[in-house]
Parts: sequence; C-alpha cells; structure tokens
Amino acid sequence: MKKLKKEKLTELWSLLAERTSLYLPVDEGGSVNFLPWEKGMEVDLDALNSTIPPKSIFFQQTEVYLQYTTEEDGLKFEEITPQGPAVLFGVRPCDLKGIQLLDNVFLQEPEDSLYKQRRLETTIVALTCTKPDSSCFCTLFDIDPGAAPGADLLATDLGEEFVFTAQSEKGESLLEAIATLLEDAEADSKAVEEVRRQAKAAVPTHGLDVEGLKEKLDSMFDDPIWGTFYRRCLGCGTCTYLCPTCHCFDIQDHTRGEEGLRFRCWDSCMFGEFTLMASGHNPRPTQKERVRNRFLHKLNYYPKNFESYACVGCGRCVRKCPVNLDMIEVIKALGGVTSGSC
Amino acid sequence: MSVTEKSLQEKQAWEPLIVAFCCNWCSYAGGDLAGTSRMPYPANIRVIRVPCSSRVNPMMVLRAFQRGADGVLVAGCHPGDCHYTSGNYYTRRRMSVFRRLLEYTGIEPERFQVTWISGSEGAKFAQVMNRVTEEVRALGPNRKLRDAR
Amino acid sequence: MKPTVDKLKEIAAETLVGKKAELILGWQKGSFWWQSFPAFIEKQEELDSLTWDPFCVANLSIYLLEELKRKKKVALFVKGCDALAINRLLQDKCIEREQVLLYGLPCKGMADRAKIEAAVGEELSIREVRRDGDEFIVLTDNGEQHLDASNYLLDKCLSCRYPNPIVYDQLLAQEIDTFPVKERFQSVVKLENSTFEERYLYWSGHFNRCLRCFACRNVCPACNCRECIFDQNEPRWLGKANILSENQFCHLIRAYHVAGRCIDCGECQRVCPMDIPLQELNRKLIKDLNELYGDYDAGTDPEEPQPLGTFKLDDPASFSES
Repeated sequence: MKKLKKEKLTELWSLLAERTSLYLPVDEGGSVNFLPWEKGMEVDLDALNSTIPPKSIFFQQTEVYLQYTTEEDGLKFEEITPQGPAVLFGVRPCDLKGIQLLDNVFLQEPEDSLYKQRRLETTIVALTCTKPDSSCFCTLFDIDPGAAPGADLLATDLGEEFVFTAQSEKGESLLEAIATLLEDAEADSKAVEEVRRQAKAAVPTHGLDVEGLKEKLDSMFDDPIWGTFYRRCLGCGTCTYLCPTCHCFDIQDHTRGEEGLRFRCWDSCMFGEFTLMASGHNPRPTQKERVRNRFLHKLNYYPKNFESYACVGCGRCVRKCPVNLDMIEVIKALGGVTSGSC
Repeated sequence: MSVTEKSLQEKQAWEPLIVAFCCNWCSYAGGDLAGTSRMPYPANIRVIRVPCSSRVNPMMVLRAFQRGADGVLVAGCHPGDCHYTSGNYYTRRRMSVFRRLLEYTGIEPERFQVTWISGSEGAKFAQVMNRVTEEVRALGPNRKLRDAR
Repeated sequence: MKPTVDKLKEIAAETLVGKKAELILGWQKGSFWWQSFPAFIEKQEELDSLTWDPFCVANLSIYLLEELKRKKKVALFVKGCDALAINRLLQDKCIEREQVLLYGLPCKGMADRAKIEAAVGEELSIREVRRDGDEFIVLTDNGEQHLDASNYLLDKCLSCRYPNPIVYDQLLAQEIDTFPVKERFQSVVKLENSTFEERYLYWSGHFNRCLRCFACRNVCPACNCRECIFDQNEPRWLGKANILSENQFCHLIRAYHVAGRCIDCGECQRVCPMDIPLQELNRKLIKDLNELYGDYDAGTDPEEPQPLGTFKLDDPASFSES
C-alpha cells in the first residue's frame, strides 16, 4: 500500500497526462463527467457519481469504426483503431461493476475488438465511496462501496490523502510510474479498513430484497403490473443513457458522395424507433412493452445469461428520471421488498 | 512553404459557397432574367428552386450549413406579390425569428440572409448575389454548424 | 386557504363516484421525500395515494394525448403553468374542452430538492418537506427546520407569471395574490449583449453535452406532433451521431418548432439530465416574437392565432426588405 497527499493531486495529473491519456471526473459547469484531462480543468473527486457513467470511455456514445471510399475497382475500406493507453481515475465501485457487466456482453464471442482494445489498454483506478447518497443501493446487488475487485488500482479516501492498493500488474506498474509522489502507507491499513466498513454501512437498503426476484419474473411477462406504472413514462432515454449497464447501440452510415463512414451510437429501448422494423411493424408498439423490456432485461434476461442482475444500484435513474420511474420504484412494485418493510 | 504561407494560400484559394433558395415565381425568374440580360453574378451561388419562399423550412437552412455552405439566402416575391397570395408573409415572420435565433447562438447575420426579388428584377438578383457573396467572403469560411465528418 | 391533500382526495372521490370522469390524473408520493410523480387513478382504492406537496411539479396535461385515445373523459389537477398547457392543447385542437375536467390548484411554486439538500446538509436524514404559508418545513431525523420558501423554489418558479390557473372547471382553493418575480428575459438580454464568438462558445459548450435523450421534447406540452421529425427515418433529418453539428441542429429546431407555442413552463430545462439552459433558447424566441409581432402569451387564449400561424401586411422583418 502506498499513499498520496491530496495537495499533490495536480502533480499526479500532470505526471500521468505526460505518459498517457488521462480521464478524470471533471466539473463541466454543474455536471461532473469523465473527460480527457487538460491543465486547468477542475477535477471533482468528491462528486459521488459522474452524470454520465464511465462506461462511455469504453463504449463511446458515437464511435466511427470504418471509413470507406469508392474507387474504380470498388469500395476501399479503412479500419479505425482506437487511441492508445489510458488511465481512468476515480471510478466508483458501482460503475466498475457496470463496466464488468458490459465486459460480459462485449467480450463474449464474437468479441468486440474496439471495446476489447480499450479495456486492455486502460488502467482503471477505482475510488471507494465515503459518503453514499440516499438514492444509492449498491449493496442490494452485493457491491461493496469500499472495495473494487477487478480494478487495477484501488484508491481509498482517508480525508487528507488517498491510499492506493495495487490489484493487478497494470496497477503495480502505475504505482511504480508515480512512485516519486508516494509515501509508504502500511501503517494506515487499519484506517483504510475502517473507512471501507463505514462506507458499506452507510448505504441505505430502502427495504429492498431481490432474492428470488429473477425467478419470480420468469412468469410475470403477462402480469397486469406492466399495464400500470409505465403510464407515466415519458419515453425519453435518460434512464438508459445514464445507466452504467445499458449497452444497446445502433449502426449507421454517413455517406457523402464518394466517401463515407460507418459509426455506432448509443440507442435506447425507451424509443419507439428502437424496435421499428423496415416493414413498419413494431413488436413493442407502446411504452408499456418498452418499459417492460427495460426492467425485464435488467432483472431477468441478463441474469439468465450472465448470472448477475444488470443493475449496480448507482442511483442515476433514481436521481434523474423526470417522473421517478426508477429502479427502486419498480423493484418495489414487482414485489422485491423484505417482508414487513415499506 | 511555411505554415503561414500555406494557410494564406488556402485562404486565398477558398471561395465562399452560398446556397440560395429561390422562389419559383419571382426570384428564380429574376435569376433567369439576370442570365438572359447577361448580368454577371458570382459562380459561388448554388440556386435551389422552391415553389414558394415559405416552402423553405429552417431545417433546410441548417442542413445547408451542415453540408458546407458558408452562407444561405432565402429569396421570395415581394410582399403582396406572392403567387399563393400569402406565402411570403409567413416567410417574413418565420425567417425573421429564425435569423435572430441563429444570431443568438453565435451565427453572424450575414451568413443567413433573406430578400425579396421579383421576376422583373434581374439587376437586383445579380446585385444581391454579388453583395451576399462579398459579405460572406469577408467573414471567411464557416465552421459553425458544419458537419466536419 | 390553501388546497389540502384531503380536499384533493375528496374531489377525486366525488369524480369517481359520480362517474364524472373515467380517469383522474394526480400525483402520488414515491420512495423519497422529493418524489411526487404522476398518478393514474381509476379505482376508489387508489384514491388514498393522492398527494399535494411542494414536489408535484410534473405537468399532467402531457398525458392527455395518450389517455384520451382510450378514455372519453379525464379529470386532472392543474397548476397555473399546467393550465396554460391545457389551453395550448385546445388551441392545437389536440383535445376538446369537453374531454377534460379541470381542478385548479393555485400554486406558490415548487421546491428545489438540491437547494433544500444544500441547506440542510445531511440529505440522508431528510424525511419530509411540506409547505406552511411562506415556509418549507423540513422534517429530519434530528428535528424540524424552517426555511423561507422563496429561497428554495425551482429556478423556473422564480419567474412564474401565472400562479393561478386561468382555465378550470373548479378551483380547489382561493386564488393567491401574484407575487414579485424575476424578470424572465434577464439572461437572454445578457447573452444578446455578448459577442458572436462568446455566444457560439456558450451554446456549443451546452449542446456538446447533450445526450439526445429527448426528455426536453417528450415533457413539452407544445411538442405534440404524432411523429416527431427527429424520429423520422426516411428522410432522416436528424442524424443519430452525437456530434456538435447534429446537436446544434436538434436544439435549434426543437426550440424553433415550439416558437409561438411555448408556454415558458420551463419543464424542458428542469428535466434535462445535462443541465442545458433550454429555457434561454425558448425565451429568446418569445422575446423576439413579442418585439417583432406584438405581445403574445402562449396558452392564455386558445382562440387567438399563434404568431407564426398568422401575419399582418405591414409586419416588420429582421432583414432588410429593400
């Protein structure tokens, strides 16, 4: 374990930015998001969660992956390779889990090569939570806000300093690269344990319990419950775009004369156009089917494929849904509550 | 060649591209008259014939900018002369407001212009096209709103 | 007298029992003190969930288009801003007056969760926030706090011009006196006075952040097209790539499409997850329309033609007509 005094953070950013692209939670005027850091940017490591989850670093909202030109002997293609190594600093444990859930999708056969390359080349520094929000519920999905298994490096906030624990080779080599700024932290292990314990205890439970919910939903596809709460849904894409586990995309071509490019971009199952077929038929004709799909995907379909609920309890949908049709409300409505609790 | 020389050369080589939406009954006929009367106007103008100036939707204006126009002009019949009686009165309101909206988001008003040219005003057609081209040329290439892909 | 939850429940019960409407649109509490979301009430046993508190900000009129496809008559509660939305829908002939039963609720403004949290500090300890006269009373695990309500309102409520509904069938409380409000064009004028470059940077900075979630469009009572031009596949006016050029297109056209019909309720800006100041675009259009074609207040009179749907022979223009 090594530690870094917070006053040395700017030095750390400069050091890291010299050798690699560096993504940090930056205040963009009210909303904090992971952006490539440049000198002078205001880094906010206290913001509980970035507005847009850091999935966007690996699974970009718009990503060109092919360029083409028409030549005499036919189409000529040029593949696009993503930029090189990067460090992503300040990922919360829930968001890290979100990235791991995307791994299940994008790294299974056939592998998504762009996603894979970014994942392999990026060193993730996770940051433990010290002050969960009332809309947090990560512990419901067995996520420990004080730990981040799978992160290359874990940073624990001790108030005046960060304590780093390397969890992979990439993490260790990052620590070596910044060794000049670090001090030994073996003596702080107790304090680190305590901070992590407190973080876990502070996450509210909301009286939720998802034990057996996946199995229960197996027979609820036609349940009348889906005919009720969807009615207030506006059909916007806020929940899906801000969700760390949503990963649907569309592929489009942008052609100009003799040349063009093919890109993919985020898409949302909340939009009517998402399932609209060329024939004009739409298998999810109303918001009812769309809302049902979103929640069944998180709580039933995905778990069937990958043995894990596709929700990490980050609370973004809770905070941002304009009509509060969020995960907590829906789990409650579907009966995922502890007996005797609200 | 130094960078400055190169950019200077590029700037000199640059010619403004202007998209002019012309109403079929007046402004387009004005253009015809300019042509048959051998009145010169710059080759920077790309005319798109529309049935009425009120056919021009703000989305078309933005699309022109997206695809590389440095300036956009909407030209219709003079108020009172609309082939469809009242189309250009709607144009006047719509485009007045839209022009101010563009200004508000940082687009110079010279880049988006509206004018009335009748079928008998060949000279005015040529003069407007010359003026707009020079005004846009003075502003330089437009990067705002452009889809640079 | 302020409208009470009991009054709302009573009138809703009467409506259901007397079969005055098939559906009642109201609000109900969510899991959190700051959540009061739209409720769809069709049965007696659902009546108890109705609420009326400083978080009932959602405008219920936007659900009418969908619900009136299945229902003959819908009753709903309308605040001042919501009533303007009703008039808008009437003006566009999206609904008929006979299809709705309107219960008016004079409103002194809705509470801003973030402002209250910042004042109280420990947001995890807040249990309930209610209004009492000109105060918000915050119940926390550690006791009660009294806040001067005017400092904790949603920004959009600070320039409210219609605290009382102007169209209703029954008003559930006495009209409240209009209160001094912030001049609504302040920030527009400030921006108008900056340079082209500054304005461009300001807006492209905001548009760059846009996620294209369309919450602004979907919550808007003036966005009532059967199929939005942004959703059209062929031709595809709005490309799906999230790049500045497309985002500029999206926002300029969204604002322009509601020009002359925007009731300035500020819902678009409230629901924007990326905090884009959309109301400043809408207000620019309102201000210009007023300056050029005479004062017009969308939503106040469903019979009056909207400014971009009419003209005068001697209208001024923002371009040279010579």
